[in-house]
Amino acid sequence: MGKHIMVVDDEKDNITTVKTALEANGYKVTSAKNGDDCLKKLKKEKPDLILMDIMMPGTPVREIIPKIKGTKIAYLSVVRVSEAEKEDLMVSKNIVDFIQKPFDIDDLLKKVKKIVGA
Amino acid sequence: MVNLKKELEDNQVILLLMPGKEYNEDIVKNLKYFSSSSSVFYVTLNKTYSALSELCKKHKVKSDNVVFVDTISKTIKKTPDQSKQVYYVSSPGALTEISLVVSKFLKHEFDYMIFDSLTNLAIYTKRAPVGKFLSSLIHKIKGTKTKAVFYAISSGENDELIKQAEMFVDKVIVLGKNKGGESDD
Repeated sequence: MGKHIMVVDDEKDNITTVKTALEANGYKVTSAKNGDDCLKKLKKEKPDLILMDIMMPGTPVREIIPKIKGTKIAYLSVVRVSEAEKEDLMVSKNIVDFIQKPFDIDDLLKKVKKIVGA
Repeated sequence: MVNLKKELEDNQVILLLMPGKEYNEDIVKNLKYFSSSSSVFYVTLNKTYSALSELCKKHKVKSDNVVFVDTISKTIKKTPDQSKQVYYVSSPGALTEISLVVSKFLKHEFDYMIFDSLTNLAIYTKRAPVGKFLSSLIHKIKGTKTKAVFYAISSGENDELIKQAEMFVDKVIVLGKNKGGESDD
């Protein structure tokens, strides 16, 4: 089995798109509908990378991130933020990338491969 | 490129459908065009005030005449940047709050209002009555002299919302391809 990626997004369509592409490239993919759901699932799952939307209902992402220990996280953002804001959002050493939506799926796959390997 | 100021002389409220690829660049170019000699209030549902300021600086947009209504920053930052040029709304899904703020700004007789964008409104308020919100908002605009441009990304995902919006605006302009409205090509 390939590396495990957890996709956290409140948009089902986004999850489906990313999940389909990752699974087709050999990754094991699970999903969570928001930050709270992600924390709940992390009690049972140990993904190699979390791809997390920056704006979701429930507890704000900036409060969720510090509670995630030992897993790499890449932000997926539909909103455009400034360079200074990106730095502010890097609230944990676990955050490894900031990916702006809409992204090219091949670029996303390259980034994921670079972070966790195939 | 369509002459937006001219279009707005004949049509008070325009829906501008744009391709996703050049979206941010085109929006800033249009803002530059409007703000050079007119007052503008800009409602953003997809960029923070800080990101917009960065874009304005990059494209040498004179933003002294622009007031921003930022619906994003409060959702991702504890303390958004303070400025006389920005008013923060709690979230892009807070339709009542957005409506109240827009009403407040309409009373100040701005020349133009830019709403960026209907596409994001659809993302954040899927279950809310977006059509009712738009109808009410455009009705308020029509009671003033402010000219308004509503942006949306021209993709199939937004067809339902665009159909709703088309009922309320005076003109639909499609940039890049012909889609029921006037094409830029």
